[in-house]
Amino acid sequence: MRFAVCINQVPDVAAPSQVRDGQLVLDAGRVVLDAYAASAVEAALVLKEASGGEVDVVLVGPEKASETIRKALAMGADSGTHLVTDAELDSAAVVRLLADHLRDGGHDAVLLGKQSQDTDAGLVGGMLAEALALPYVTNAVGLAQEADTLVVTRQGDKGQEVIALPTPGLVTCSNDMNDPRIPNLKGIMASKRKPVETKAVEASGVRVKTTGYANPPSREPGKTVDGDEPAAVARELVRLLADEARAI
Amino acid sequence: MPTILTHVPVSGGTPNRTALEALTRARQIATENGWTCAASVVAPEASGVAESLGAYGAETVYAVSDAAFEQPLNAPVVDALEQVIREAEPEIVVFPSTEGVKDVIGALAQRLGAPALPDVSAFSATASGVSATRPVMAAKFRADVEAEAPEGAPVLVSVRAGSYTAEEASGAGAPEVIDIALATDASSLKQTLREVVSAAGGGVDLSDATVVVAAGRGVRDEAGRDLVQQLADVTGAAIGASRAVVEMGLFPPEAQIGQTGKVVAPDLYFAVGISGAIQHVAGMTGSRTIVAINKDADAPIFDVATYGIVGDLHAVLPPLIEALRDAKA
Repeated sequence: MRFAVCINQVPDVAAPSQVRDGQLVLDAGRVVLDAYAASAVEAALVLKEASGGEVDVVLVGPEKASETIRKALAMGADSGTHLVTDAELDSAAVVRLLADHLRDGGHDAVLLGKQSQDTDAGLVGGMLAEALALPYVTNAVGLAQEADTLVVTRQGDKGQEVIALPTPGLVTCSNDMNDPRIPNLKGIMASKRKPVETKAVEASGVRVKTTGYANPPSREPGKTVDGDEPAAVARELVRLLADEARAI
Repeated sequence: MPTILTHVPVSGGTPNRTALEALTRARQIATENGWTCAASVVAPEASGVAESLGAYGAETVYAVSDAAFEQPLNAPVVDALEQVIREAEPEIVVFPSTEGVKDVIGALAQRLGAPALPDVSAFSATASGVSATRPVMAAKFRADVEAEAPEGAPVLVSVRAGSYTAEEASGAGAPEVIDIALATDASSLKQTLREVVSAAGGGVDLSDATVVVAAGRGVRDEAGRDLVQQLADVTGAAIGASRAVVEMGLFPPEAQIGQTGKVVAPDLYFAVGISGAIQHVAGMTGSRTIVAINKDADAPIFDVATYGIVGDLHAVLPPLIEALRDAKA
């Protein structure tokens, strides 16, 4: 099976960051392969190792995001395409660029993260499936292959659903799906010889814009309920919940 | 007259609570702007629920009843919502941010050529579209976003649980119910549901619960899980979990709360043995009152807690359960 995996580079959400004058300032400037996208790469590699095939990664982003393509190649992907743009894009604009690239690519399965770690928006998967007229499954927590069918376990509102998805099809992956491998030295060396196609692209029709950032409203400082006697501590908490918070 | 449409998912014949919160906000926007407030129900038997939405201010309800919606597959839902939206021609379509909605909103936006603002914590109508606030970076920050509606297409907005309070409308009458027959291209039904592996049995639905007891790594065994269950029983709570204990297999995946799992905003949230990683806090920080119980006094969960008890849950929970039982008696 030929897999296309759409990946993205995001700021490290765990690194120090702050809002200054309404703008997001990433103190360390650290950027990483998105964790959900990494799960999608891992899922494609596992299926390729089991049943054969090829894994192509594609990324939309600025020039410096090429390091993230190399990371996916070092994990084991076979080739990469970098659609280069510095423009601020919305989900629909990203999808137009990805769809133009993938439309005639001959892939059996398109995999991507269920959302991006920085925006948490989660629109690209469904949009891309619709743009490419592919059946799709979102929020996959498990993926297997049976001949020409992908068997996808997805986390729904009330339980897990097992869905048979004929190929070509599209799957968005949760980071609960697997533990993405960390590239070893052999993988890193091999990645340098793998082909990466670079194409300059232009954004069009951006309709969603971020106008500023703010800190979330801070919560009132909390109270620690303490004492030597657990029963007394419990009674005091219940009193606070009833009389002060009116929560019970 | 311009229309604001709210999509109301139904489970077990009951409208989703977050959808009623969203519908309440949509009604405010309709009143402020002199618009019509409409709703849509897409379910195996939609009409009965459709009638009940009048109480929340829906003047018109578009009801699509079809057996296809018995299966949790996205293609017929996208088709049904497309039909409703083409019929209602709304300026804004509002959704609750459920997994079912997350599964269809992108495809629907693409099909309609509509911009989408998913998972917002607040939104308003503007002259040219919608402005909203969205938590980003695992809810560490809030982004102000604006969507401009193109000619002939609405803006789609999905709303996080707890962002608004569901309130019945005063003097509301019975809505006009417009039944729409699902027209689905059979070739669009390419996915096949094989089975539903696990379903939340009995218990209270996490996203609809007003009290949640959530378990973390500190609840490391059956004895801890039993205490969490007792606390949930005495408070009438739904049980949630951190990613760590879901991975340990102590709690089912649908109980997971956080950036990856569910977003909950109950009146009362007990965080039991949860350290408070940002990915978890992203899913519960909208809770009104938060009680944290953790033996590590430096755990970040205490930064967001209303009340904290530093101690081992095996020592803290039994007297707490007893005190709550006494308070109820």
